[in-house]
Amino acid sequence: MNQPSPEIPDLELVGRAYPPMASRMEEVRVCAVRGQGTYVLTCVRVSDDVVLARAPFDAIEVDPPIGRTPRRLRFPDGTLFETEDHASVAILEGESAGGLLHRLEEFHPRLVGFVLIAFAAIWVVWRYGLDMLVAVALLLTPPVLTEQIDAGTLKTLDLTLAGPSALSGTDQAAAKQVFLDLLDAREPASASRSDLRLLFRDMPGVGPNAFALPGGTIILTDQFVRDFGDADILAGVLGHEIGHVVEQHGLKQVYRSLGLYILIAFMAGDTGPILEEILLEGNLLLSLAYSRKHETAADRYGIELADRAGYDPSGLRSFFEELQGSGPTPPRWMSTHPSGDRRIEAIDETIRSLR
Amino acid sequence: MNTEQFVFRGNAREWFGIWIVNLLLSVVTLGIYSAWAKVRRKKYFYNNTYVAGRNFDYHATGLQILIGRAIVAVCFVAFSLLSAIPIVGILMGLALVFVFPWLMVRSLMFNARMSSWSNVRFNFTGRIGRAFLVYLLYPFLTVLSLGIAYPVLDRAVKRFTVGHHRLGTAELRMEAPLGPFYKAFFAAILWVLLVLGGALVVMGLGVEDLVLRLQSLEADPVPGAFAVLGVYVVFFAAFLPAMFIYKAMTRNAVFNATRLKGGHGFRSSVTAGRLMWIALSNMVVVVLTFGLMLPWAQIRMMRYLVAQTQLVPGGSLDDFVDLMQRESSALGDAYTDLEGVDLGLPI
Repeated sequence: MNQPSPEIPDLELVGRAYPPMASRMEEVRVCAVRGQGTYVLTCVRVSDDVVLARAPFDAIEVDPPIGRTPRRLRFPDGTLFETEDHASVAILEGESAGGLLHRLEEFHPRLVGFVLIAFAAIWVVWRYGLDMLVAVALLLTPPVLTEQIDAGTLKTLDLTLAGPSALSGTDQAAAKQVFLDLLDAREPASASRSDLRLLFRDMPGVGPNAFALPGGTIILTDQFVRDFGDADILAGVLGHEIGHVVEQHGLKQVYRSLGLYILIAFMAGDTGPILEEILLEGNLLLSLAYSRKHETAADRYGIELADRAGYDPSGLRSFFEELQGSGPTPPRWMSTHPSGDRRIEAIDETIRSLR
Repeated sequence: MNTEQFVFRGNAREWFGIWIVNLLLSVVTLGIYSAWAKVRRKKYFYNNTYVAGRNFDYHATGLQILIGRAIVAVCFVAFSLLSAIPIVGILMGLALVFVFPWLMVRSLMFNARMSSWSNVRFNFTGRIGRAFLVYLLYPFLTVLSLGIAYPVLDRAVKRFTVGHHRLGTAELRMEAPLGPFYKAFFAAILWVLLVLGGALVVMGLGVEDLVLRLQSLEADPVPGAFAVLGVYVVFFAAFLPAMFIYKAMTRNAVFNATRLKGGHGFRSSVTAGRLMWIALSNMVVVVLTFGLMLPWAQIRMMRYLVAQTQLVPGGSLDDFVDLMQRESSALGDAYTDLEGVDLGLPI
């Protein structure tokens, strides 16, 4: 015996046992005898000293500790042993990951630290982590998907709200020229190869409008070209729409919204139905704020692009001034677009920065 | 035989530590740990719920839950994106309608098989055909009947879910008559009508005035904001308690009519008033503490529900026997997690 053997005692645990696959509960004691470097556990019924199960500790499945709930040990034959003797089981187990986790969860002043770290972590994830997830999702999105979204949406529009354009050839050509100038300003000499394309449609139900689809299709309604045909205004508005496509606002919105929904649903699921509803409504309101941010960013992109292409950047401003007069707008917190006044202010600032 | 009282032995101090570590690790791992957090949470609540000296247990592993959640998350995102393509969107919507009952059954099955009491696992044997009736046809009929048939739907759902659970080989049956469900339904409706009617009288506002205020919200925000707040409060005060009235009365009816093979029965004595008080005060406290009192609120609600539940044994509780079961995937379980469907043990 060249190793000093520390006085590690045999252990005796009391508790209850259940036979494999059955609900019968019996009072038992488990003797843990140390030998050959490991413990051998023998489960003995108290009432008649019958041995119910025996196994070395390594062959026994031990459930990790959680709170003060009884520890559960499952013998290889399926016999389940349950005991309140946490100390003895801890000795049998030694150090374990489950034990570490259990100690961290104890009611202790360091929980205050955990609370603070949790709040900080939530803020960081909210501020940066979500954007990271969205960026990854964007990278993983196959381009064929956005192409199909464009194709499908266009087809539906053509079936429902839109008819072929009734604009004269000259009107269309003039608008197309503005568009090509913008593409040129963005990426010189590659205008023909760009996946951005401009289409014209007659959409009487919609009125003057311009919108961009995620795959690069930009649509101008006939009414828009008629009412706001001025080249500078067109440059500003088309630049704005190009901004939406280039900065992938459409997809970002979708991914961010979905991402938040998934995170909330999986993590806050046990906050109870009322709170979960509140969080999801909050998600909705926040996605509107996100959308307003995008509109402002698209405004800035549009103005800068129009300026680079040689158009007057205050074209966009005149467009919004004309719009202001045309009816009530919903309150800001409910709206996907920033309010008219704020928008004009932001536009003025961007124009000033160009000078 | 004596009734056995269900007992909950957990407490807020203990649970708070587990909860905050769950939250911290889940956030830091961008949600991946949430699978293990779910297991820990369920284990804590199940292991602390006793009846006749024996407790419940939850056996799913974090990895199972994680894989299920990952698959569901990817499918959810793909589904949402593809729905943006109009024709495909409609087809996928239809497909989901048919896949939904299958997912519900898988979820019930997974949840049951991962739960046990007194060393015997539960099981769920409901068939998909019946699930179609319960989760598609009946709701459709309920909509057609403008909601009057809702208690029929609810009872069908409870009969299907409770009635196809087993504890090992022992079947559960839920044979409540329709009466108590309609009683609960009309009690809830009565409450809504009383509150809405009372509100109109008390506020002294006509509906026209309300609409006017809402329309001029941006121009004149203050009376508009009050109008919005008022509408929220009234709906809150009308529909929320009505939901609790319905839930409390039907929970009692369901438990009282549930039988477990072997002659065992159950009792439930939840009252709408107390349930509502606990739920609302919980919510207020949780909101005021930015969520930090959430663990306390969960324990408080659990304690109340468990205290109002009893087992009436019809014989020995030692005779339950388990069956060998095939491993099941957590796909359905992750789906109901995402949709917020709560399928825990009906405690």
